[in-house]
Amino acid sequence: MADATSAGAPPLLPGLLDDIVICEILVRLPPKALLRCHAVSRAWRRTTSTRDFLLAHHARQPALFITSGHDYGGRLHDRDLITYDHRARAAGAQLQHVAQLDERDCGLVACCDGLLLISHNMNRKDACSSIYNPATRQYAPIPALCDSKVRCSVLGMYRHHPTGEYPILVYGKNKETAYRHEEEICFYDDACYIFALGSVQPLRNIGCPPDVEQLLLHREATTAVMFRGNLHWHIDQNETESNMIVVFDTTAESFRQMHAPVVPVFRNVPAYADLFDMDGVLGMLSCDEAADTIDIWVLQDYESEVWTFKCKIEVPVIEIKALCGQYDDCWYAVVMHVDGELLVLVQYAEWLLQIDMDGKFVATFHRQSLSLTKLQLKQTLVPHTFFLTLE
Amino acid sequence: MATREAGKKMIMLKSPDGMEFEVEEAVAMESQTIRKMIEDDCADTAILIPNINSKILSRVIEYCNKHVPTTGATGAAASDTVAPAALAEDLKIWDAEFIKVNRATRFDLIQAASYLNIKGLLDLTSQTTIDTISDNSLEEIRSFLSTKNDYLPEEEQTIRRENQWAFQ
Repeated sequence: MADATSAGAPPLLPGLLDDIVICEILVRLPPKALLRCHAVSRAWRRTTSTRDFLLAHHARQPALFITSGHDYGGRLHDRDLITYDHRARAAGAQLQHVAQLDERDCGLVACCDGLLLISHNMNRKDACSSIYNPATRQYAPIPALCDSKVRCSVLGMYRHHPTGEYPILVYGKNKETAYRHEEEICFYDDACYIFALGSVQPLRNIGCPPDVEQLLLHREATTAVMFRGNLHWHIDQNETESNMIVVFDTTAESFRQMHAPVVPVFRNVPAYADLFDMDGVLGMLSCDEAADTIDIWVLQDYESEVWTFKCKIEVPVIEIKALCGQYDDCWYAVVMHVDGELLVLVQYAEWLLQIDMDGKFVATFHRQSLSLTKLQLKQTLVPHTFFLTLE
Repeated sequence: MATREAGKKMIMLKSPDGMEFEVEEAVAMESQTIRKMIEDDCADTAILIPNINSKILSRVIEYCNKHVPTTGATGAAASDTVAPAALAEDLKIWDAEFIKVNRATRFDLIQAASYLNIKGLLDLTSQTTIDTISDNSLEEIRSFLSTKNDYLPEEEQTIRRENQWAFQ
């Protein structure tokens, strides 16, 4: 990045070495502020536009939970994309409005490297998908996922490291109709498909192993977690079956299973559990509604598949109910490992609460039609050709 | 290496203007650069810290003294009686006071934190500049940076139009 400034040119910021301005200041600016910096001067525009700089900038952006934007069923017309920034120093500044989504009935289905995969008109015949970068406001429909003959549900989106492509893994229900003795017979050619963003190739069928059937039965509640370059889903089972994790190996393009810790069962419903990246170790949270606790598990040795219990976080339900009024609602929690600590967010009715490891409130917010997701947005200004190709 | 108190290793840091600072090894090792020197056995006597004058170096040491994790006999007792949240709050207030310096000193501290690789100090000292650039208008940013606008008016208009929403 040193070549961004030519010898003898005035410094970007008098009093500081250009390298420090670039590596410590500019890479940490929020995307909107960085775009404004383009207009400061030619030198500033040159410095903040190179691909290397934009990659470094993306790497230094925080990963933030998206706390709104879901719009299932079309009843809640809340399409504001809001992130939760726990680092905000001013009280109440944690919720940050990033962008407004398209007017149509839409929902966020996946997020990878600052790119959002959005489904429109879900569960309808004209269901479609598009890709959106909230940092650049670039948007492009994905025609390959808008074929009315194949009903696609997105399983995940990831970056394929060798090529730098962004493949989307979908499960397609392909319905074909034939007639026998004047009776309509439907054949379902169900399979998993891969489609790379920007590609002109059709969906590529990679088959449909039985594991994936399981995954699809339960996937409403779970979003894929990227860990060690592969996609992981925690599958909640009923009380008679053990829990498992389905892994999609993005290199071999195949599925396999892993063991998950046993979670408590309450009223015949297993505790809600999910996976997260705990500083290079696979972590799992399980929410026990009977005990109002969140258990944290870690998989220290990934290959051995032996999970260790890490800690228990008490959810302050009595305090929450006192704060929120006596709604009869369930709570829902997401956990992220950041700066050596666990960030715990709990949603209860129209309230979003950040709690610490002792179950004490750190911040509380009341918002109508707020929807906490486990998607994490790490914004990017890196240019992508597929925004041109797909348009 | 000098030893002052039992069990506490001391390190001598020298600034280019000839001042010497005797600090606990644990405090000096808040700097990843010095930690590496000590671990690689390059720190037998005194460590010369280039490009950082004694005024700035003493402030850096002040910061490291405050932020070194409290361990050992006295430290353990302290963390038993004071809740971690209260300690963190106390550090925050201390940091806010520490950073009330003029711009030139702040920039010197940024460069020192960068060279010595002290993440907490670097975050603290660069945040003010990041906030200034994030929160102000283009004209205010230019004046803060002492940068001349070398665009033609129509060029600047084009750049503003490219990402109009970022200027609202």
